[in-house]
Amino acid sequence: MATFTHQAQAIEFGASRSAESANDHELLAAIRDGDEAAFQEIVRRYRNPITNFIYRMIDDYERSVELAQETFIRVYTSASRYQANYSFSTYIYRIASNLAISELRKRKRRKFVSLFSPFTNDDGEAVELDPPDMNPLQDETMIEDERRRAVARAITSLPEKYRAAIVLRDVEGLSYDRIAEVLKLSEGTVKSRINRARNLLKEKLSAYI
Amino acid sequence: MKSCKQIKSLIDEAEKPDLFSFEVNNHIAACNDCRSFATERAALRGLIASGARVTAPANFDAVLQARLAEVKARRSFSWLSPAGFARMGAATAGLVVAFLVIQFSGLLSTTEQPQSSNPVAKQSPAKPESGLQANPIPIPIPEKSIPPVRPAPQVMQHAIAAVPASRGAGASMRGRDVARQPVPVDYPGMETAGVVLVRGQNGEREVPLPTVSVGAQPLLYVSTSRPATRNAGSTF
Repeated sequence: MATFTHQAQAIEFGASRSAESANDHELLAAIRDGDEAAFQEIVRRYRNPITNFIYRMIDDYERSVELAQETFIRVYTSASRYQANYSFSTYIYRIASNLAISELRKRKRRKFVSLFSPFTNDDGEAVELDPPDMNPLQDETMIEDERRRAVARAITSLPEKYRAAIVLRDVEGLSYDRIAEVLKLSEGTVKSRINRARNLLKEKLSAYI
Repeated sequence: MKSCKQIKSLIDEAEKPDLFSFEVNNHIAACNDCRSFATERAALRGLIASGARVTAPANFDAVLQARLAEVKARRSFSWLSPAGFARMGAATAGLVVAFLVIQFSGLLSTTEQPQSSNPVAKQSPAKPESGLQANPIPIPIPEKSIPPVRPAPQVMQHAIAAVPASRGAGASMRGRDVARQPVPVDYPGMETAGVVLVRGQNGEREVPLPTVSVGAQPLLYVSTSRPATRNAGSTF
């Protein structure tokens, strides 16, 4: 793949083109040259998807906002080392994914014995028992809210290696090859993990399907 | 013709839950199991995607800018961090070690060592007489002449040669003997010629300059104006 030469694509956004019309690679080149407006534009484009992705991974809004900001800080500080071998969205999702997985591992180390006694799945990983709630629901709003909470709980109960793949695929809508690039896996492994994750979610969310 | 397993795999991998290839559509039209699998998968994918989609808070950019400014400040003063201090300490220690090595190897010494004309440097310390056995001051003593720091004038060599031969090598000179030496009265450079007398436990010795005496021994300089010695202080 052609290595991105930022000198050639560095842009004076104030002069000829606006930051809004520049593509991600051009914005990164401008960030390397110290253009704050380019960084603002990158943040504007990706703050919501990245925050949402991390939130769906860790199910903690406050922490997901912090980690999303940390993602952008890393983009800014490592802009000089960025090479456009992949699309920028793959790059930023990879940073966010690594941060989210690190957070999950930290939480795993901090976690005490759960009231839901841990079970192990086929891969030998601990999985909390999360039986579907069969009680009748009273209100439409409550039903919707409960359904969302159930989906969030079901996703966060997945092993982390399945979680990242299923969130990137079914929540963020990334293609299999992009997910493979983000997670540094083969496409076949990604397909397998997504299939397993869906099978696990089908069991947990059977009351809502 | 693909099997149900292969068709289910294709259903699972479909880009959109209801968008299948012609082959898959034909299969699920005839296969109830695969059709229910496709329906179930579509519902599941819709359920997962319908989960609460959060957005960044309103102050996201402001907080990010503050954190970024913090990071920039930390990076510009990274030398004040513990790692920076450690690096500075290592560099300082390296400089000190390098300086000491250079100093001990003599590269910084400004004193000219007259290697060829200094017999003291070449000779091993002369065997002292019995009276000097207990002298703790390790002073090398010339055999016949005082090694000059600078070329001694003729009159000085004459004065030195007047020392008795029995006391030539390693001999000590008593104060009264020194006083009796034929010191030229008008010789102006005697004191700066580098000849000092060091009075030890067993008498005085002639020591060429520059010499560092170890111990609180008095330094006695030969005066050119009067035939006597005077105490010029101690080596400390």
